[in-house]
Amino acid sequence: MPVIPCCPGFLHRATLENTISTSSNDRQRPEELRGLLARLSVIRNGCDLDLLVFLYRHPRILLTNEQIATFVGYDMKQVAQSLEKFMERGLLERTQNPMHAARMYLLELSGPQNGGFKTLLELASTRLGRHEILQILNPDRPDREESTQRLRLVINACA
Amino acid sequence: MAGPDLVKTGVAGLDDILPGGIPRGNVILVEGAIGAGKTTMGVEFVYRGASQFNEPGIIVVFEVSPDKIMRDALGLGWNLSELEQQRKLKIVFTTRDVLRQELQQADSVLLEEAAKIGARRIFIDGVGRLVGSNGTAESRSTFHVLTEGLQRENLTALLAVEASSPDGSASTSLPEESIADTVIRLRMEETQRAVSRSLEVVKSRGQDFQMGRHSFRIIDGKGIQVYRRVQAPRKPTRDRAAAFDPKTRLPSGIPGLDDLLNGGYFVGSTTVVAGISGVGKSVMALQFIAEGARRGERSLMLSLDEQVEQIMRNAASVGIDLKGPIESGLIVLEYEPPQEIEVDAHFHHIEQLVKNFQPKRVVIDSLSTYGSSLGTRGRIFRDFFHALVALMKENQIVAVYNHENPEMLGMNSMMGDFAMSSLVDNIILMNWIELGDSFRLGLTVGKMRANPVDRVTHECEIVDGHGMRVLPRALPIPKKPFSSYGGLVSRAPERRSVPSRRQSKNRSPDESLQ
Repeated sequence: MPVIPCCPGFLHRATLENTISTSSNDRQRPEELRGLLARLSVIRNGCDLDLLVFLYRHPRILLTNEQIATFVGYDMKQVAQSLEKFMERGLLERTQNPMHAARMYLLELSGPQNGGFKTLLELASTRLGRHEILQILNPDRPDREESTQRLRLVINACA
Repeated sequence: MAGPDLVKTGVAGLDDILPGGIPRGNVILVEGAIGAGKTTMGVEFVYRGASQFNEPGIIVVFEVSPDKIMRDALGLGWNLSELEQQRKLKIVFTTRDVLRQELQQADSVLLEEAAKIGARRIFIDGVGRLVGSNGTAESRSTFHVLTEGLQRENLTALLAVEASSPDGSASTSLPEESIADTVIRLRMEETQRAVSRSLEVVKSRGQDFQMGRHSFRIIDGKGIQVYRRVQAPRKPTRDRAAAFDPKTRLPSGIPGLDDLLNGGYFVGSTTVVAGISGVGKSVMALQFIAEGARRGERSLMLSLDEQVEQIMRNAASVGIDLKGPIESGLIVLEYEPPQEIEVDAHFHHIEQLVKNFQPKRVVIDSLSTYGSSLGTRGRIFRDFFHALVALMKENQIVAVYNHENPEMLGMNSMMGDFAMSSLVDNIILMNWIELGDSFRLGLTVGKMRANPVDRVTHECEIVDGHGMRVLPRALPIPKKPFSSYGGLVSRAPERRSVPSRRQSKNRSPDESLQ
């Protein structure tokens, strides 16, 4: 974990979630993330990311597409497209009975071809990590997160 | 006819209350308030089945994410992820609507998933809102359909449902209780600002079980441990054990005392040493266990008053080295803090110590400390002491209990507030005797079942580096007839003055009799 000098005479160890880094190593992180996303290729937008994180936390689900969409906060069409992509890539298995609306989905991250997903998903499971990845996926997205973090650092320094 | 096929829950202590487990195929309802431990019990039921009994299982959750279930399970030492990889366990996240539809269909996707791993157990968390909590015929019917669906696949199902109040005191029972085959109620009860957990088997079709509330704890790194309530009957042999060996005695280890005890304590006997603080009860206890070590007998000392290091220091001050016997495994010293002592768990601990260590001698110091935690006149304390006595007798242990009688000079009763002297075989009374301007130590054997006892007070002394000894009586015990005394029943007997021969001759026969 990076050690961040917060204010004179006080050194504290920051968690991955709460770090706004000024060190040279961490300036390279967005580049590393871009590289990772390019290698993984299946994560193209926020829905892909958030859906995959949801599946990471709930590896085996029995839900309708509508319910999945409600849980992740995107519309059904986007969710359906993401699910199809994941199945084509071999990340997701689906079991269904045509008579039932609910389908069983199982996330499969084992196997050498899926290396890298766990790293990405661990990062995306943190608030700041998710923000960083979304910024890369959608550069036009307003950067509310960074403003909030800078304000917090100023408040801490004055305290 | 073959006996029932029982499913072991694997939850420590629970299979003792449900003798051997639960009939396979029973629908088990676990009810309790928020935080009572329903989810933990359900997850452990599936985990133990998969890891210990080769019975794969499914966990179905509606609200908690599976990664949190796994994280919390790891804290209890259960690696669910490993079992998933071994295809012995599956955690399915779904909604109540989906589950209701699934279990109504013969070709359920969920049950097909269960069949793929040969699942024999299923845990569904939060069933109550699945069927509605209004107790209507419709909600009962929904629950009934649910159970039928589970039984179709021959799954032993454990269903968690939220009860309305933390201590289970709601007057109305849940509608699901009448349909479920086994109902287990979990409670969190407040006792003098502490909260203790208890479990009660309310019903279990097809089997007998131990009724009443049994304590339980959720222990990091282990899981749930159920402690059978101390009042619950144990094996029949426990009550008959006093007849095993009626002759063998063990010496007390106190010079001079065995002469008053007809050679020592009978094996399996219960002795209470009662006296005010500082008379030497603990010294006697140390000499008792040291004597055992000298004879190669295992001894256990359980203290509620002093830490082990303090006991060893006190023993050294009277010339007793406990370090050697402890290292050689002849003596075990245990300290248990008396604050908020939970009687079922404490008794279970003593049972395990006795079972694993198999001592011949046990000292418990002191009964009065139990009394301050549990109350000496309450039913719980009496039942606890009864269970202790029965445990010691079953294992043919010579048990000595120290008891603080708070009366300094003179005693109004043998055991003060401790109204259970009828359970005790031997009572040794110790007290200060004020003679002139000094206090001297007196000891009386007040009771000794099946033995002649002279009930004469003997002087004792405790010498630094040597311990206690009972001093021999220099003078013979005078035996005056009762007629020499007046006021015998009034608790203030007085010697009558003896008239001279001349006075006796001059008295009329009537005067002589007065």
